[in-house]
Amino acid sequence: MMVPVRCFTCGNVVGEHWEEFDERANEGDEDPQEVLDDLGVDRYCCRRMLVSHTDLVDVVSPYQ
Amino acid sequence: MSEEYDVEFVEREEREARFLVRGISPGFANGIRRAMVADVPTMAIDTVRFIENSSVMFDEQLALRLGLVPLTTPPEGEFGEDDTVTLSIDVEGPATAYSGDLVSEDDLVQPADENVPIIELKEDQRLEAEADAVLDRGKDHAKHQGGVAIGYRHLQRVEVVGDLPEFEEQESRIVRGVIEDDGELVPTSEFDHDLSNRYPGKEVEVEDVPNAFVFHVETDGSLDVEELVTRAADSIESRATELEEAVQL
Amino acid sequence: MELRVTERTDDELSIEIAGEDHTFMNVLKGTLLEHEDVSAATYDVNPEQSGGQTEPILTIKTEDDVDPIDALEEAAGDVRDKAVSFREAFEAAA
Repeated sequence: MMVPVRCFTCGNVVGEHWEEFDERANEGDEDPQEVLDDLGVDRYCCRRMLVSHTDLVDVVSPYQ
Repeated sequence: MSEEYDVEFVEREEREARFLVRGISPGFANGIRRAMVADVPTMAIDTVRFIENSSVMFDEQLALRLGLVPLTTPPEGEFGEDDTVTLSIDVEGPATAYSGDLVSEDDLVQPADENVPIIELKEDQRLEAEADAVLDRGKDHAKHQGGVAIGYRHLQRVEVVGDLPEFEEQESRIVRGVIEDDGELVPTSEFDHDLSNRYPGKEVEVEDVPNAFVFHVETDGSLDVEELVTRAADSIESRATELEEAVQL
Repeated sequence: MELRVTERTDDELSIEIAGEDHTFMNVLKGTLLEHEDVSAATYDVNPEQSGGQTEPILTIKTEDDVDPIDALEEAAGDVRDKAVSFREAFEAAA
């Protein structure tokens, strides 16, 4: 639904970087790898949190 | 008995550092590491009172998200285990509620990161809540864990023992951490963790330096690295003092 | 920290140290083994889910008529000194 606040595995705060990542890698056409390096999300446990995330608020909001 | 430790920083930022400790036994190094992860208390939201929540997520889900937001932890002695700090949040849609929208009653306890999205609010949705933050340890809940991905490795001493035979192709030799080359400390990231990049055409020998450990310490922002390490040492010290006094009785 | 002696002879001591875990017990055990007159030191902890004895039990055996209680007291002091000198060394570098 919303991006997880922290990485499930190591506890690093990843929510902080979601909006920039989404803008640059998902909406924009930058390489996700480079964006993550740029954001300082180094470990693969934290990287998968952002790469594999999908916002679902728009999907569920009509069914309130 | 007085132990002589020698500490030297290799990399250093506010939230991430690498430092070498010489003269430390593996057992004590592990004690310090464990204390950093589980025994240093940090502030985190523990109770949330919802005044209005018409968002798409349940109260409990939002309370969990609020709890995971790192809060700056006040200096030692400023707060006790039972003290609480109240933070409030009031956001009306269409907008996204961020961790930065939390308003704290205490300047010492503030969200360490301000851009963590809590919940996206649509038209006519609203989040209004009061939250109580408490001081607790990583042992009790991961949200109170100040250190993330803390570990240590042996310092590795690299010695050039000779040249490779002329026509032999050099194989890559991966090492991670920090190497000691003639007294100089070099993080392996400088040569892409591959010794064949640093010593082309050379034959090298790598050995662990006994009782020399390189700690990698990263925090979630609730404390800086120095605070975390000193408080971990303090927590071991206070337990040892307590035991000493308890035994004397 | 609650202490409870479970077994005691002249040169052997088993003591329960309530509220502690591996973080402190392993450091303490390691320090005890560095002690001159301690011939054996170990501790045992059972997982919380196992029921029964879940607090750590430290067992010390000494040589040369040394009271294990005194050895434990000295080791606790040594652990404290280690923590203090580690912090001082760290602060000096920081």
